[in-house]
Amino acid sequence: MNFVNGNGRTAWWRGARPWLIVWLAGTAVLAAILWWDARAWIQGAPQATFRATKLNLWPLEILWWLFVPAILLVQKSLTRVDRHWRWAITLHGLLAAIITGLFIVAQAARLVLVNHLPASFLPVVVNDLRWMGGWSYLPALVYLALILALYAFSFYREWRAGQRLTSQLQVANAQLETRLVRASLDALKMQLHPHFLFNTLNSITSLIRNHRAREAEDIVAGLGELLRRSLDHRQEAMDTLERELDFLRRYFEIECIRFQDRLKVEFDIDPKCLRAQVPSLLLQPLAENAMKHGISKDPAARLLRISAERDGTRLVLTVFNDGPPLPRDEAALTRGIGLRNSHARLRMLYGDEARLRLRDNAPQGVRAEIILPFRTSSSP
Amino acid sequence: MTTTSRAHWWISLSLLILAGGVGLAFLPPGKPLPVARRAAGDRNILRVVYTQPLRPDPHVRLFPLSSYNLFIQSLWEPLVECDPVTGEPQPAAAASWSWSADHRVLTLRLRPDARWSNGDPVTAHDFVRGWLRLLRSRIDVAYALFPIRNAEAYHRGARDQPGAVGLRALDDLTLQVELDQPRTTLAAELADPMLAPLHHSTETAVAAKSFYEQPAALVTNGPFRLTRANADGYRLEASPFYHGSAGVRLAGVQFIRANNPSTGALLVAAGKADLLPSMHFKSDWRAPTLRPIAVESELALGVVASYFNVTRGPLRDVRVRRALALALNREDLIEEADRPRLVPAWSWVPDMPGRPGLSLFIEDSGEARRLLAEAGYPGGKDFPILRMSLPLWMEGSPYPAACSERWFKELGVRVYVSYEMPATRNDRVHAGDYDIIYGALIATVPDPADLLTVFAMPVEFSETKWRDDEAIRLLTAANHKTGAERLALVEQAERRAMAGVAAVPLMFERRHALRSADVRGWYDDPLARQSPKRLWLDLPVASPPQPGRDSRT
Repeated sequence: MNFVNGNGRTAWWRGARPWLIVWLAGTAVLAAILWWDARAWIQGAPQATFRATKLNLWPLEILWWLFVPAILLVQKSLTRVDRHWRWAITLHGLLAAIITGLFIVAQAARLVLVNHLPASFLPVVVNDLRWMGGWSYLPALVYLALILALYAFSFYREWRAGQRLTSQLQVANAQLETRLVRASLDALKMQLHPHFLFNTLNSITSLIRNHRAREAEDIVAGLGELLRRSLDHRQEAMDTLERELDFLRRYFEIECIRFQDRLKVEFDIDPKCLRAQVPSLLLQPLAENAMKHGISKDPAARLLRISAERDGTRLVLTVFNDGPPLPRDEAALTRGIGLRNSHARLRMLYGDEARLRLRDNAPQGVRAEIILPFRTSSSP
Repeated sequence: MTTTSRAHWWISLSLLILAGGVGLAFLPPGKPLPVARRAAGDRNILRVVYTQPLRPDPHVRLFPLSSYNLFIQSLWEPLVECDPVTGEPQPAAAASWSWSADHRVLTLRLRPDARWSNGDPVTAHDFVRGWLRLLRSRIDVAYALFPIRNAEAYHRGARDQPGAVGLRALDDLTLQVELDQPRTTLAAELADPMLAPLHHSTETAVAAKSFYEQPAALVTNGPFRLTRANADGYRLEASPFYHGSAGVRLAGVQFIRANNPSTGALLVAAGKADLLPSMHFKSDWRAPTLRPIAVESELALGVVASYFNVTRGPLRDVRVRRALALALNREDLIEEADRPRLVPAWSWVPDMPGRPGLSLFIEDSGEARRLLAEAGYPGGKDFPILRMSLPLWMEGSPYPAACSERWFKELGVRVYVSYEMPATRNDRVHAGDYDIIYGALIATVPDPADLLTVFAMPVEFSETKWRDDEAIRLLTAANHKTGAERLALVEQAERRAMAGVAAVPLMFERRHALRSADVRGWYDDPLARQSPKRLWLDLPVASPPQPGRDSRT
């Protein structure tokens, strides 16, 4: 915890408030006890003396009670200069010396008061205490022990927080890997879908019959490439947009044969974005959704556009199809495993910095938009 | 961790300012501090500082401190008091006394004009009451009365009838004291402030502490009476009923509580007090004011010594014991810081009024080595290691170790100094399992023989296990004599004891008192029993208020 920002200060204040209330309550009780005990002396009763009061008898206890919040506050402030550890050690040493000095002066002041010496004798009493062995260095040791304990507690707490964070990250990484594997499997499943394979194989057969062997070869090669890329990417979380688009092109090459001339795929890609790092197989589920719920559902639909552009520090990826609008049923919207998977992966990788939106594109079509931080492999 | 750019500078600056503020309190004053003006009501009041708790009870005492003696002697008057110059007993509450022919019965005649502070007459019954109360209390205060017949038995519970104690009030003004053995010093011993009478109301007033609310409830027979008591001290005024009130020059005495002697000295320097009866004198101490102050010094009637267990090993041989005694250089032994407080002891009894000390143990290393060789241990060869057994609280004292070092350096004799828990050491001493012990002996009676009784104790109670019938005979004979004749016998006993070297005197102790130049009449007393009624204040005459000026300004 530190005072670096407003949220930190507020959080610290929230944590400290109950203790401060306890301290204030304790101080109030202590003050009441001291006042009640010394009331006769305060009111100037002839038989009453300061010597018999607890103010005289409890000086060290009272001083420590008053010092504790100040010590905690200073220790908390000094953690701000922890990088300058030489400063911190020097300042803690100085503060230990000050506290020791304050205790000595307080002891001397008590002696002056209780023995009815003139106030001008305070420095003399302070120096007299020295040869009487009254210069106790115990407060310095107590302070340093307290500070060490506070540091130890603080480091222990940070270590525990670090441990928790590491555990959470490990869990998140595991979940991420799971999602990636699932995405790969989804892609593989899509590619091995009997209908997809049947159509693809039919298309290949048709091409061979029409003596279009070259095109048939391309499709076979494309299908092989799809399978290979799916398998290759199971262990990679990120890839360049360029490779991601290559993958999509192979996919659409096959789908174009299925849909004959009806499917028109456009790529509107800012060349600057090609080196951007994107989650592997992020666009494929969106493209599959566009084919499945857009182009396939409306015979008039034929356009599918993939675009990528940079918006300052962000990368904006869009998958547009001119198919029918989104269903009004919200459950249907969130039912798709691929879409949920993409959402989850973006949240894990980028937190609040990335988002995925699916919306109707007036007057026609549906637009899936992914916004995520623009990063390249050389970015920190 | 996050670092803000100038945090450490601001924190450093704040701490340095705070350190500077605290440091200012450590700077000694650059010029003499002002002296407080004496309050008009304190004009003829002697203000005495005390540092150990005082209780207005003559029969409660932890240690014979000067301030305690001043306090008790201000409020109570025993039967006799000792002359400051000769040390001889003088009439106080008793007008006269006489011994029976066998010196076993002392009859004291009280002053007919002696009065308590409430006007009641002081009677012999009050002394009997007070002394019996003393006998019922702790042994360290009751032992002063043990010479009285059956007193110790009554104290220990062996006799439960107070009538069995040799103490009689023959009438209101006659007190008879019957002793077990002749003891001519008893008259001087009666000057002990503890042997004060007790008014019938005092025990209740002391137990209930009613004197805090009603100071007059504490009825005393001394030159002063209590007028105020609280945690800061006691205020006394001259008692109009005191038989010698005409000779008392002080209007009162105020006893001011200080936390420690150093603060007490500052109170005197500041003009808030006039007298600090016991202080730890430090040669470089300087008053922070220009108030004229004198440091008084007096030799205490006591001795710091090493005691040899003469039943053990080579210590059975008097030549060995004498060699150990002569090997010590007492001048060198005393550390520089202690020189104002400690002086070399050449014999057992220090200088005291009417009796100068002897010089029996002058260092002579050559003679010490010769004696050791003659005893069969040349250069300490074959000499067994001796054990010096000390209580744990003496670990801070450098002198036992210094003696041990000196004995090894001069004679080759090794002495193992062991510090033990009190119970362990007591068991060891009780079993006689030691060679040497080290300790201080303090007299409670203003008589040189009091210090020498350590050599006349039964062997089973003696730390030295040394017995010399001739020394005992001399001390017994001295108890039948008085004056110079007695002193001569005591001196012979001292020479006899020192010849036996059962113990080696090392140092005598000096007490110091701080008094403002205004305090007059202060005198040395070997038992620190200065009587406040002998003191007075010599203050500069206050200038009268000038006509036409408001005295309040």
